[in-house]
Amino acid sequence: MNWKMWSLKKSPWVFHVNAGACNNCDIEVVDCLTPKFDVERFGIKLVGSPRHADALLVTGCVTRQIAPRLKEAYLQTSKPCVVFALGACACGTGIFCSGYHVVGPVDKIIKEADPNAIIAYVPGCPPKPEAMISGVVKALAAI
Amino acid sequence: MNQQELNEKLKDIAAKVISIDTPAANRIYMPCESENIRDICRFLFADVGARFVIATGIDSDDCFEIIYHFSYDQTGCVINVKAYIRDRENPEVESITPLIPGAEWIEREMHDLLGIGFRNHPRLERLILADDWPDGVYPLRKDAKL
Repeated sequence: MNWKMWSLKKSPWVFHVNAGACNNCDIEVVDCLTPKFDVERFGIKLVGSPRHADALLVTGCVTRQIAPRLKEAYLQTSKPCVVFALGACACGTGIFCSGYHVVGPVDKIIKEADPNAIIAYVPGCPPKPEAMISGVVKALAAI
Repeated sequence: MNQQELNEKLKDIAAKVISIDTPAANRIYMPCESENIRDICRFLFADVGARFVIATGIDSDDCFEIIYHFSYDQTGCVINVKAYIRDRENPEVESITPLIPGAEWIEREMHDLLGIGFRNHPRLERLILADDWPDGVYPLRKDAKL
């Protein structure tokens, strides 16, 4: 394992992108940071810029307006990086699949920017904080 | 004004509406033609003192409809004014934003999604559709091909 991968797995800093979510998944992301789950003890930390991040937490079904901005956020993230599609909408657009303003899901948009992107899926509406932590552990074990 | 006095007061505008229905004790329903909507909204807002809640745009069978929802908070009465816009090719109605500034965004939203024009609206620009959304495509119309 090279040092870049080692540092990614040791302490993945995450940047949260809301790509048209209803805020429910976002509240659960915040839940992960509260004392009960406290993901900072694993070195997982929310940061304010994709350039500081090792992982993108993407929630929402990706609307037409946000799609180019999501691609840009992905391109600005330092590589190697992992994209987490959090929630039913991000994994497969969910109940909004036939909406006139929906171009997602997240994996389709990210793969337009980089076909070799590492994408992990955490389904649920919203996913429980335990599911998110489990998803992060499984994704980091797989790469 | 209690509910009885409110019902009496609304008779002042009876000439401009098609009918005044009261399906429930705290609900008044007034269908009208779109030409009269500015006068009716001015009457309800300024003379009666009702609060403008929101408006609803509908693509109906042979016309467009806008339902203006007003609330008279002293008695908890909701007044719905339904305006029929008969011209399907070029739907247009007088804006109520010069009277009620709170109506600005909902009128812009109806303009985006249904393509209803609002005359004398101060800033009838795109509000909620994406920047690259094509002009002249109105997603909530029944004949929209998406």
